[in-house]
Amino acid sequence: MLASVATFAIEGVESREVVVEADLRRGLPVFTIVGLPDAAVREARERVRAALLNSGLEFPLQRLTANLAPADVRKAGPSFDLALGAAVLAASGQVPRDALGSYALCGELSLGGALRPIRGALAMALGARAAGFERLIVPVENAGEAALVGGLEVLGVPDLARMVAMLRGEWRPEAPAPPAPFTARAADDDLGDVRGQADAKRALELAAAGGHNLLMIGPPGAGKTMLARRLPGILPDPSFEEAVEITRVHSVAGLCDSGLSPRRPFRAPHHTISTSGLVGGGSTPRPGEISLAHRGVLFLDELAEFSRSALEALRQPLESGRVEVSRGQRAISFPAAAIMVGACNPCPCARSRNECVCNEVDHARYARRLSGPLLDRVDLVCELDATAPLELVEAGTPAETSASVRARVMAARDRQRERLAGTGALSNSEMDARSTRRHVPLEGRARSRLIEGHARRALTGRGHDRVLRLARTVADLAGRDSIRPEDIEEALGFRLGAEAVAA
Amino acid sequence: MTTRACAACLRHSALIGFLGGRLAAVLGGRDRRLGGVLGLSEEELIAAVAGGRANEARAFLTEFEPQAARHALDRLGQGTACRHTGLYPRSLLALADAPPVLYFAGEGDALAGLLAAPVATLVGTRTPSRYALEVAHELGRELAVAGVTVVSGLALGVDAAVHRGALAGGGRPLAVLAGGADVPYPKTNRALYDRVVQGGAVVSELPPGQLPLRWSFPARNRIMAGLASLTVVVEATESSGTLITAEFAAQLGRDVGAVPGHVTSRRAAGSNRLLREGAAVIRSAEDALDELFGVGTEERFGRGERAWEPGDARQGWRLPEPANADDCAPARADAGADDCAPALDLSSGDTGRRRPRSREAGPVLDPLERRVLDLVEGGDTVDAIARDAGLSPGRARATLGRLELMGLVAREGFAGYARTLKG
Repeated sequence: MLASVATFAIEGVESREVVVEADLRRGLPVFTIVGLPDAAVREARERVRAALLNSGLEFPLQRLTANLAPADVRKAGPSFDLALGAAVLAASGQVPRDALGSYALCGELSLGGALRPIRGALAMALGARAAGFERLIVPVENAGEAALVGGLEVLGVPDLARMVAMLRGEWRPEAPAPPAPFTARAADDDLGDVRGQADAKRALELAAAGGHNLLMIGPPGAGKTMLARRLPGILPDPSFEEAVEITRVHSVAGLCDSGLSPRRPFRAPHHTISTSGLVGGGSTPRPGEISLAHRGVLFLDELAEFSRSALEALRQPLESGRVEVSRGQRAISFPAAAIMVGACNPCPCARSRNECVCNEVDHARYARRLSGPLLDRVDLVCELDATAPLELVEAGTPAETSASVRARVMAARDRQRERLAGTGALSNSEMDARSTRRHVPLEGRARSRLIEGHARRALTGRGHDRVLRLARTVADLAGRDSIRPEDIEEALGFRLGAEAVAA
Repeated sequence: MTTRACAACLRHSALIGFLGGRLAAVLGGRDRRLGGVLGLSEEELIAAVAGGRANEARAFLTEFEPQAARHALDRLGQGTACRHTGLYPRSLLALADAPPVLYFAGEGDALAGLLAAPVATLVGTRTPSRYALEVAHELGRELAVAGVTVVSGLALGVDAAVHRGALAGGGRPLAVLAGGADVPYPKTNRALYDRVVQGGAVVSELPPGQLPLRWSFPARNRIMAGLASLTVVVEATESSGTLITAEFAAQLGRDVGAVPGHVTSRRAAGSNRLLREGAAVIRSAEDALDELFGVGTEERFGRGERAWEPGDARQGWRLPEPANADDCAPARADAGADDCAPALDLSSGDTGRRRPRSREAGPVLDPLERRVLDLVEGGDTVDAIARDAGLSPGRARATLGRLELMGLVAREGFAGYARTLKG
């Protein structure tokens, strides 16, 4: 007897249909799984057998062969358990074979027959819809997440016995709760808590408004980390589409509780992180920190202490907003459109300017740790000094709150969204060269400023476009369509000179 | 090589090199001062420092072959001068412990030329502030343009900036090393060493191949002080070895100057103390020239002409006649009287710069730009600049961006904006 059941394998943040075939024949009772299974999939034999028996079902005492097709795709992880179990049940006639045709099934089995939650349910649901399935059976814990995908009936099932009952038409699961509306913002760290540092706050606002990368350079205690942690608080809430993108990556990484991620991620990996930890990789590629920060903020404290190779690997994703990982025959792509915020000390001794004991060789060596090409992708570089004691102590006028900065940021983002509608870009920093030319009109003095900039500092080609995009954001924040010379000047003022970038 | 040190002096010098390690043991650790030990005669030196190696040292002296040593020096392309030759700088003889032999890499004629010009020594810390680096470079450059021989020690930081400045000014730098004249030290300055050898000269009192020792740095400092009629400390901490140079210069009765630094900065504490103790305030090359020649010296060098000619080596320092005495007359006739103003004109002829720190030629700045430019000089962050100038942070950045476009400020590495020399 032969039965086949559809399930999905995670590949990056996409999923791929996998057909599980089970064949029952007379012979010695052995259970073989073929089709490039990894160790977790081979172990499914034991889980499926025990789960069936413990759920009051029968495990056929015949020669049983399961095949995972296509056979050339590597199958990893325990999410195939449920489909294997269902295929065995169908092959042995315990559930109606034709009933399974419109279903896709994903889930891990426990020995007792209960379904355990899996990683990547959202990506699997998207795959199931794209492949034309009408119904998706997932562990009940993943139902809310999978139900974010419209046009697909998501059935959250607690255990194997209940699934059999459902397939026999004896039981119906409750419809998963619709995605909860975004809850009101929790009391974020507020920008109003940070005293002084008006320049860095301006840089932060520009970064939020246009999605530009930012590097803060200052001695310890200047407030770099404090400022960076407040960046998500001045970013607009993610749109539904953005939230789905965020949830999809988090779901694949197993970081998703359930349902839609209501806020933008803030990831702050330690500087000892490996290259594949930062940009993604592994034998079955998993998203790295930059993908987990997708549509949010990737904060790299002590930027100069990160390994050279990790920082170099950031270059391509920072430019394209995607990470491409090649594994064998396949290239897997993760989204990676995050705002990178770096922080580092001005010199290795990390003292304030007049106390510094470093010599020029130390300085040069320290600056060399950050490669020029990486710095070339940073639009905003600002230096901080420790806040003056007087400013810390003085009550004075309270600093502007995150809410009022966010209002400006959102107005600027609205302008960008309108302008960039249809281009696929969401913010100025994502404009390609063509949109940049189109949407950053340069006239008269503004134009000559840029030419001077080239003459003076030999802006790199990338630097040229990046200055234009930042100038666009400056104008957007001011509510202007035209680009004024001072917009270009401010953008240049935030940019590190080409010589520094060439270091 | 036109001149060579005599056999006796070569032997004495070789002995110092031979006993370098013993000297380190006797002098090192306790005090950085030399206590005149380098002024001892051969026999006294052996008695004082050789200890257990006295017999070895005596054997070394008897076996010393001056002819072989000279051949070795020739192979290295090194020249020598001792007090019995004309090339030996007379100014060094004021030292009680003047080195018996001066070894030099470079042409003998070049060295003669360098020593014939007025000599100023510029030294400072190996970990200078950016301000000190800039001042060092500018002093080196402008003094070189004025025809002064600029001496320094090829160390990191201020010394290197001084040499680079002198080279940039088209002058000939003179470096005094603590090791042999063929040993670039520190190694990171090897490229600069090569340029100094090519464009000027590198001298040392130690035989070739000798590595610098603890005692040889203060010993080198006494030579730098002894060569120059003016020693300027650009920046030094309280414990800096640079101050030893100033001390030697003061003992010799030479002029000592220092560049004022931030009074709150530890890095400038030593140089500021020198000022407190009466050193001349050196704000620019003009101040240094006033110290060298006396205030108000009214001489004018011809365009592109140096203050000295290598051929005139032994004739001493002279100010050449203006290349074309008529130059000034027509200029005076029309409005350009300033061109012939009675100050030392430091134009090098081809750079077109009239006077150091001249700001008249720069772009026209509005008061706001001027104010921001001044604040940048104070080393403030953009944040502080915005606050002091009453600007929004965005406008402060924009103003800096504009000043940068004019080339008046520059952003170097991670240290933020700084005023350029043009500004």
